[in-house]
Amino acid sequence: MNNLILEVNDVAVSFGGVRAVNGATLDVEVGSVTSVIGPNGAGKTTLFNLISGAIRPDSGTILFEGLEIQNLFPHKIADRGIIRTFQGAKVIKRLSVLDNLMLGGQNNPGDSLVNFFNPKARKAYEVQCHDRAMELLQQIGLERFAHEYAGILSGGQRKLLDLARALMANPILLLLDEPFAGINPTLVEKLLEVLHALRTKHNLTFLLIEHNLETVMNISDRVIVMAEGRVIADGKPNSIYENQAVIDAYLGTRKAFK
Amino acid sequence: MTALMQPGFWVFILTMSGIYGIFTLGLQIQYGVGGILNFGHVGMMALSSYTMAILIISHGINFWIAAAIGVAVAALGGALLGLTTLRLRRDYFAIASIAFSEIVRYVIYNSDGLTGGVQGSLAIPVTGENYPSYTDTWDSIINRARDILTPIFGEIVDRDFVMAIIVWTTLGILLLIVSRVERTSWARVLRATREDDEVPAALGKNVFRFRFQAVIIGSVIGGIAGIFWGLQSSLLSPDDFLTLVTFYGWMILILAGATKVKGLPIAAIFFGFLYGGSRFFTFWPFSMLDASERAYVRIMIIGIVLIILMMSRPQGIFGKRQEMVLE
Repeated sequence: MNNLILEVNDVAVSFGGVRAVNGATLDVEVGSVTSVIGPNGAGKTTLFNLISGAIRPDSGTILFEGLEIQNLFPHKIADRGIIRTFQGAKVIKRLSVLDNLMLGGQNNPGDSLVNFFNPKARKAYEVQCHDRAMELLQQIGLERFAHEYAGILSGGQRKLLDLARALMANPILLLLDEPFAGINPTLVEKLLEVLHALRTKHNLTFLLIEHNLETVMNISDRVIVMAEGRVIADGKPNSIYENQAVIDAYLGTRKAFK
Repeated sequence: MTALMQPGFWVFILTMSGIYGIFTLGLQIQYGVGGILNFGHVGMMALSSYTMAILIISHGINFWIAAAIGVAVAALGGALLGLTTLRLRRDYFAIASIAFSEIVRYVIYNSDGLTGGVQGSLAIPVTGENYPSYTDTWDSIINRARDILTPIFGEIVDRDFVMAIIVWTTLGILLLIVSRVERTSWARVLRATREDDEVPAALGKNVFRFRFQAVIIGSVIGGIAGIFWGLQSSLLSPDDFLTLVTFYGWMILILAGATKVKGLPIAAIFFGFLYGGSRFFTFWPFSMLDASERAYVRIMIIGIVLIILMMSRPQGIFGKRQEMVLE
């Protein structure tokens, strides 16, 4: 038994003639914060789509808690505990903010039509789900928008909602695609606190894509650098700065960076 | 003009409105909640009414059982439509669903030995003591109801009056059930799938399951409408089930505001009166046209009213504007 929660082995996928992910291999330790960085088009989001089942790999395997998941449907992967957010944030615009959050509730008896005839079970869950959603809304400061359509939210607010909705789903492994882009610094601080609390309380594991290097270096236990569909570096945050391949592909020359 | 003055005419319109209302309720849960563009809904009505008629006429099966099987066959039709085509993108599904209802109609048209073909239900093959009518049991039910209702309502009570009451009671019950269903978390997930596949899937929801169930529920409701359609007209013809009927349902849905059920009965009545009532637009300026020309004017008026309504209230009579237009 190892302490790897996610193992991606030599995964590849092409779109037409483009190999978006070209033999990527990486793993994630239980309870860690692992960041994926790399230039645009490196295959980071595609990697997330592969892990979450939105697309299937042409070759390679993906193991979650030791079991292969690369051929499962996205909802089955979510059931196992891998929950993702979307780049640029996806909210259901014509549902209320509260309903967006409650959508994240897992094993909701009301999702099954049979339980239409079991209103007690449905309502008990809804009450509990509602309270949890309101609590999360308070944490991200959107409680006054609870009954508004999510479509009226600004870009940053949508990001917060997307993140909170993922938390509603009681994830084991959380995939965050650029969670902090476009969110103001004080709120980023606050979010990091929320995420840190979740991590210590529920032993959540984070895999995130992020471009803000300062944030990445501060919060990550480990940084994975991708370029052209491959992993070109993998290590502690500090070691990444020293890696010549990373400097060439992503960071640029030291002079330009500093 | 004289026909417009007779209560019997309006009762007839009310009955047809009610049947169209039930029919449209099936579309409402599919499109208004699930965003599923079903343009083949009339196929479910054809399946249920013909199944009922064939079972009674050719096999002498009890009316209630035949009607229940008819609705079940409509549900099966929905399952078939869903399993084969629901994974298509929204607009392609719409095209495939038209094909579905046209296939049903053409099969009815060409299966003389089963459905009576082009001659309709009168030509459905008869066995034993039976004869080509499927409304006997229903007629006796109606007659018994008439005996009960006449002392209350007086002379106005005729077949159509009883039918109107039964149809609208059914519509009321179905509206109640559907509006309850639409308040469950099942409907919340279905509403999410209306806009996006990825988000619900990423939260562990099997998008196909929710859509498929919505199609089945809509088909059952469409099937119930088909039973009433058959009973009301007391004879069936493949031409009753043209794709145009589906679009009448869509007109009502758009008028009502697709996202909410509460506007539906009013929109159905509005449509029924416009459609049936305009048949009697014999006064000026319509008197300048002959009868066959007026038939088209009627459809044009419906179109114009719809266009005006869509321009001023795209959300329909009762819908929420934001839920229609928010990007």
